[in-house]
Amino acid sequence: MSTLHITDTGLFVAMGQPSNSRYQAVRHFARRNDVTFVLPERVYEELTVNDPDIEAPPVDTAIDEGWTTVAAPLEYSDPIVSRAMDGVQRYIANADGRPADDVERADAALAALAAQHLSAGTATDVYIYTTDIAAGEGAETVLASEGYGDSVTFVNGFRFIEDLRSCEG
Amino acid sequence: MSRTSNATDGDVVRDFLSVADLLEEPRLAQLYAYLAREGEATVRDVMTDIELAQGTAYSYVNRLVDAGVVEVTHDEQPQRYAAREIDLTVTTATGNREYTITPSLVDAVGRRETDDDIDIYIDRHGVAGLATALTYAVARERAEVTHRLMAEDLDISPLAAEMILQALRPVVHEYYDIDESGASLDELDIDDRDVADDA
Repeated sequence: MSTLHITDTGLFVAMGQPSNSRYQAVRHFARRNDVTFVLPERVYEELTVNDPDIEAPPVDTAIDEGWTTVAAPLEYSDPIVSRAMDGVQRYIANADGRPADDVERADAALAALAAQHLSAGTATDVYIYTTDIAAGEGAETVLASEGYGDSVTFVNGFRFIEDLRSCEG
Repeated sequence: MSRTSNATDGDVVRDFLSVADLLEEPRLAQLYAYLAREGEATVRDVMTDIELAQGTAYSYVNRLVDAGVVEVTHDEQPQRYAAREIDLTVTTATGNREYTITPSLVDAVGRRETDDDIDIYIDRHGVAGLATALTYAVARERAEVTHRLMAEDLDISPLAAEMILQALRPVVHEYYDIDESGASLDELDIDDRDVADDA
């Protein structure tokens, strides 16, 4: 049984810098459970944008430390990947009453990556760590409609870190 | 002090000035937000809970009372104070945007003292910009938008959007009743060993 841990931008922002106890709690969790967090390419690009107003999240440090990695590009030719992509875009658009085409594709990349691995059999369970509830719930809903309802879990990034810290407290 | 038909122009002007003061001075905003949260408090409570010196605490409370955004609820010693509701729509100096000043916005502004992300955001986008970000922060916690949609709408980087949404999240949960969503650590099918085990 292999489990995939897909991570969104918000979890890395919420962790703070490596000196922060939140970052250390997540790293500790990854190491003691042999977990590697996987970032869709678009999420990695978001995290490493050059914005002078912002202290960049330490994603490259986490990669160097070996508990985070960037996923290979999505295989859009795989029908389930594009279905998951479209499905999540529609789901998010619906929540906000805007056209699906307006929804950023990175929101849907989390679910698309999950779909790719589940259908290829390279993962049997997927956890999606995000701070965007619409993206997390959208991924669960759309993948359930593909028959993967029991295999996908949306983990609220804030709650995850709070839980880790309270058990370390 | 929601503006209703029985309000006089004088009241409106007074509200506007006092609320403008609140947004200009984060320490006053912080005190207002504290009273809004606590319901009622004495000056001694203020001194202890938000660490103001006695003289400063009295002077700030009196300024808020004079401005009409705080009222005395118990006149005998020790006097108790409570925040009055603010719900005032203002138009920005350039006249092209409107936003509503609410207790949650005043609280958010008050946090710029202690939160760099909020401070920088106000420097870049003004209080009106922060008011917009706060509406997105509420919508996001209600699963209606994502940080990427906000970024696209406001033409900022998704990372900048995520930063300010996270900085405002405690304010959202303070003022709005929103249920927790997503799985908790216990629900993950991971046999997470206790920290003590591998220490």
